[in-house]
Amino acid sequence: MNTSEIKGYHSALKIFSRLRESSFKIITMTFGLVLAVFIVALLIGVVTHTTPKALLESLLSGEIQFAIRLSLITSVISTIFCIVVSVPAAYALARYNFPGKNILNTILDVPLALPPLVAGVALLILFGTTSFGKGLAEAGIKFVFTPLGIILAQFFVNMPFMFRVLRSTFQGINPRYEYVAQTLGSTEAGAFWRVTLPMARNGLMAGSIITWCRGIGEFGAALMVAGSTRMQTETLPISLYLNMSCGELPLAIASATILIVISLISLFIFERFSGFARVF
Amino acid sequence: MVRVENISKTLGEFFLKDVSLDVGDGEYFMILGPTGAGKTILLETVAGIYPPDKGRVYLNDRDITRLPPRKRNIGMVYQDYMLFPHLTVEQNIKYGLRSRKLGKQKGPQRVDELANLLGVTHLLHRHPGTLSGGEKQRIAIARALIMEPEVLLLDEPLSALDSETRAKLRKELRRIHALTSTTMIHVTHSFDEAFLLGSRMAIMNHGEIVQVGEPSEVFRKPNSKFAAEFLGVTNVFRGESRVDKGIAYIDINGLRVTSTDNREGQVYLSIRPEDILVSLSPLESSARNSFQGKVQDISDAGIIVRITVDVGVPLVAAITRHSFLDMGLQQGMNVFLTFKAIDVHIF
Repeated sequence: MNTSEIKGYHSALKIFSRLRESSFKIITMTFGLVLAVFIVALLIGVVTHTTPKALLESLLSGEIQFAIRLSLITSVISTIFCIVVSVPAAYALARYNFPGKNILNTILDVPLALPPLVAGVALLILFGTTSFGKGLAEAGIKFVFTPLGIILAQFFVNMPFMFRVLRSTFQGINPRYEYVAQTLGSTEAGAFWRVTLPMARNGLMAGSIITWCRGIGEFGAALMVAGSTRMQTETLPISLYLNMSCGELPLAIASATILIVISLISLFIFERFSGFARVF
Repeated sequence: MVRVENISKTLGEFFLKDVSLDVGDGEYFMILGPTGAGKTILLETVAGIYPPDKGRVYLNDRDITRLPPRKRNIGMVYQDYMLFPHLTVEQNIKYGLRSRKLGKQKGPQRVDELANLLGVTHLLHRHPGTLSGGEKQRIAIARALIMEPEVLLLDEPLSALDSETRAKLRKELRRIHALTSTTMIHVTHSFDEAFLLGSRMAIMNHGEIVQVGEPSEVFRKPNSKFAAEFLGVTNVFRGESRVDKGIAYIDINGLRVTSTDNREGQVYLSIRPEDILVSLSPLESSARNSFQGKVQDISDAGIIVRITVDVGVPLVAAITRHSFLDMGLQQGMNVFLTFKAIDVHIF
């Protein structure tokens, strides 16, 4: 054997012994790796299914443009509603002790556990068949088969995400910051506005992003309440569903591609802002 | 100035039980007690963070029990500083000015004055996250003082600091008190702090005030077993007391101790180690208590040496290193302990 052969022999031995030493590590890591490869392959499969030219054409088509616009508008509005409702509710449940607090916490989480289709049916029944819903419709606030219904569905299904992120954020802020602010002349609301809310900024950002991202992807509940009318209640997921069912593959893939891009960006931003708490 | 009357409050596992306190105008008042004694809730109740379950709080004879914190003009400084992390040092200090409406000229002037007073001028543009504990506490004090509070509440303000910074800031607190003559109520668990800063002090335990008085007086005459033990007073014994012609004779395990404190029945008594004389032969003196025993233990703490002598019960005496060496004391030696009846405190 010459020197290089000896070297090679030695390094082979080393690798072999290392393999034997940590075969458990190798096996578990393999599972993780296979899973990751599977996910990446799936996504690449979607994006590369059509030619870039066909993809670009579909993206520029009137239908997809409409779906993008409708998705953006509805998801932004529903996220704002989630913030407006969740901030006070999460604050109350983080700060105060009162009878029934545990039950209230559980109830506020229910939409999280409910299948979106069931949530959609429930919304449809309340706003479509009861006198409450009919009264609203007569007053001009129509939820059934309208974009307003999409916003409602997104709000209802995603509110718990916002709520949970904010609750754990507020719980992480020592109430003594507010006490000090109160001795410095602030009202309770003033202390919240000038101290606690700015300190909750990261949680608010992370919660907004995850709520918005889920709003963009919301399908089941929105389908039940708003239906799937082309160029009317056609969000990106609805468009994907409509075009798949009638064989318009390039359009469906265009929707899917946009949804993938949005999800990846949101995930990235969420990870950056939510170094604080794992809420799920 | 600040008068607390029969305050009771339960907050989770912490509570106050029928606490009354009267702090005079311009006084530096210390509250001393172990962790969980209820010191912080007492301060927070005075500040108005939450209403008491029972009792009343008065400021200058005005009932402020139901007044929100912002209308009390009482400042608060916590152990953990509670500086607003999203604001700069300057913005922290002037936080309270918004409700004071001092105007465009006077506001910044006040900030400068206070930053000067506490020596934090060079930090004004920094954020609290990058500062040391001592710096943070100075800023927290400046932030409270900008309101020109009638009373400043300090909740263990020095406990989180290293000993050097603590000593510095302690002096600073005394200076600020002398300069502004603000009434201060300062909570601590360190007797040194109470002794060095307080004009009067209260001892708290289990949500109750155990004793109030001047630090030296409380230290010399603890009125309970808890106070004595908490203050590190050794030589606390339990015995049966009988009073005869103004003199109490207390029987502790067959040892008869004489005291000028008149109380009968089951009592605790304490003798401060430095009040006990140690000698190699019996002393001819006016002191009423003299006992013989063997040296059991010697603990050397530098200038002061504490020796434990078994005279039927173990008595600790503190002597200077000099006399310890002069007498050539060793374990097992026979010595005499002598102390005056007036130095035996019964409670």
